[in-house]
Amino acid sequence: METNPAHSRLTALALAFMAIVWVSPFTWLILNAFDPASTGRLAIPQSVGLDNFADALSGNAGRQFLNSMLIAAGTASLSVVVGISAAYPLSRLRIPGRNAMLWTLVLLRMLPSAGVLVPLYFAAQRTGLLNQVGVILALTILNLPFTLLLLKNFFDTVPVELEEAAYVEGANLFQIITRIVLPMSKAGLAVVWFFSFTGAWNEFLLPLIFARVQDAFPMSVGLYAAFGQQGAIDYGFLAAFSIVYAAPAVGVYFLLRRNMNTGFAGVGVKG
Amino acid sequence: MRNQANPWLTNNLFVLGLGMLPALVLIAVLLYFTAWAFAFSFTDLALVGRKSVEWSWVGLENFERLFTRRGFLESLWTTIIFVFFSAIVGQSVLGFLLAAALRGRNSVLKNVVEVSIMLGWLLPDIVAAFLWSATTAQTGLLNSLFVVPFGLKPINFINEFALPVVTIANIWKGTAWSYLLFSAALDSVSREIVEAAKVDGATPLQRIVRVQLPIIRPHIATNMLFITIWTFTYFPLIYALTGGGPGRQTETLAVFLYNQSFSRGNLGFGSAISVAMLVIVGALSLIYLRMLREPK
Repeated sequence: METNPAHSRLTALALAFMAIVWVSPFTWLILNAFDPASTGRLAIPQSVGLDNFADALSGNAGRQFLNSMLIAAGTASLSVVVGISAAYPLSRLRIPGRNAMLWTLVLLRMLPSAGVLVPLYFAAQRTGLLNQVGVILALTILNLPFTLLLLKNFFDTVPVELEEAAYVEGANLFQIITRIVLPMSKAGLAVVWFFSFTGAWNEFLLPLIFARVQDAFPMSVGLYAAFGQQGAIDYGFLAAFSIVYAAPAVGVYFLLRRNMNTGFAGVGVKG
Repeated sequence: MRNQANPWLTNNLFVLGLGMLPALVLIAVLLYFTAWAFAFSFTDLALVGRKSVEWSWVGLENFERLFTRRGFLESLWTTIIFVFFSAIVGQSVLGFLLAAALRGRNSVLKNVVEVSIMLGWLLPDIVAAFLWSATTAQTGLLNSLFVVPFGLKPINFINEFALPVVTIANIWKGTAWSYLLFSAALDSVSREIVEAAKVDGATPLQRIVRVQLPIIRPHIATNMLFITIWTFTYFPLIYALTGGGPGRQTETLAVFLYNQSFSRGNLGFGSAISVAMLVIVGALSLIYLRMLREPK
């Protein structure tokens, strides 16, 4: 695209403008979150303080944060562990029709989750799993086809020759997996863990139906319930709560950013 | 299972099989539930009341209702508009343009743009809905910047322009995915080919349309497949922002499905809606997969 400097400068200007447009909705959020006397209007705060954040991290809101953390980390870790132990054999053993099977499962998962929700709800009710554990299990089940497909694709890129060499050196299966396969597909594991984590962290519909009591609400349901409430809405608190809620997913992304970009190449190329 | 050459696998078939067991059990559960969702679509099962216990088989009645009653076809049309403008036009085209414009730049600007569009993608759905309802409110950013300074009365955007607001919010939220995918794809186009076209006198536009786009066609198909399906079944942002209203202006199929199943309690009819959605999504996927498979 590097034709001439004037053209390039124009593109740069357009790009900078895009960036500004993209972050502009955040102004309201930031202004209200740091304003202890927030009124929900777009205005420069008279005083700046962290009172709203203190509220957003204590009491009910704090418990909802822990609930969300438990659900997200639990789902991501369970998905990755179950996924690894099935994706490695799937990648290495020539099981007939494994690719067709995986793609069918992924397509099946395109069924809007509200459809599967009804039987899931009945099953959870009968087994007494209408709680956090139930949400974690349900989300893992719903994630699994995608997790398996991604992990298998990443394991496919690890050269078998390396494993052979390790075997000749006397390594057993467990050592081969933990010392060679997993370290070499670190980027893929990070992507899968991150996808499951943010997916579960953002999940709204499932906990809305599974969480029966306010103590069990994760932040998504808590936030939705709070801005649907009647009467005086505490905008400052909601803004701060939103920032606290958004922070972990954003933070994890920037921690894993380098891995993520390599991982994405893998998502795209595989047909 | 003939991997004689790999003894660390053949000697441990039992362990490997054991490792696959939890995943197989969970997949079986998923299939079982999906089968139930299909089965429900032929019943008059309800969420509460007598028909939640004493339901009966009603044959194809639910599917007939899709076409004879108001609601489904309107929602389908809303969904098509929403998917077309927010995913195909908005996210794909914008994502591609950004990826093309930022390609090769390695500057602060690239990082700034990347981080800003990623913020939209990373934000939880409910927060994004909250943010957009504040931005388009009567005292919000849009009104304070573009309406009130010109002496006009503040506009309640969510009431007046519900579908455009939801569409823009979804473009804002989802463009990052297309951008990341296209940017990885463009990196895979070798510099020599582009240079060769340049030497042959191709204009920048020709270089994109004639050289780069054909090479990354599989990526375009993959991207279309994912974002079409996601947008087609996307629920939380629209539901939290408008609840399908005002009236039924933003009632996409996903919202229609939720309202029918859980607000009205017609689980049987709701299941029929989700089966219909699956059929539509399946047909679209086949088209895209064909695009993907043709010679590169």
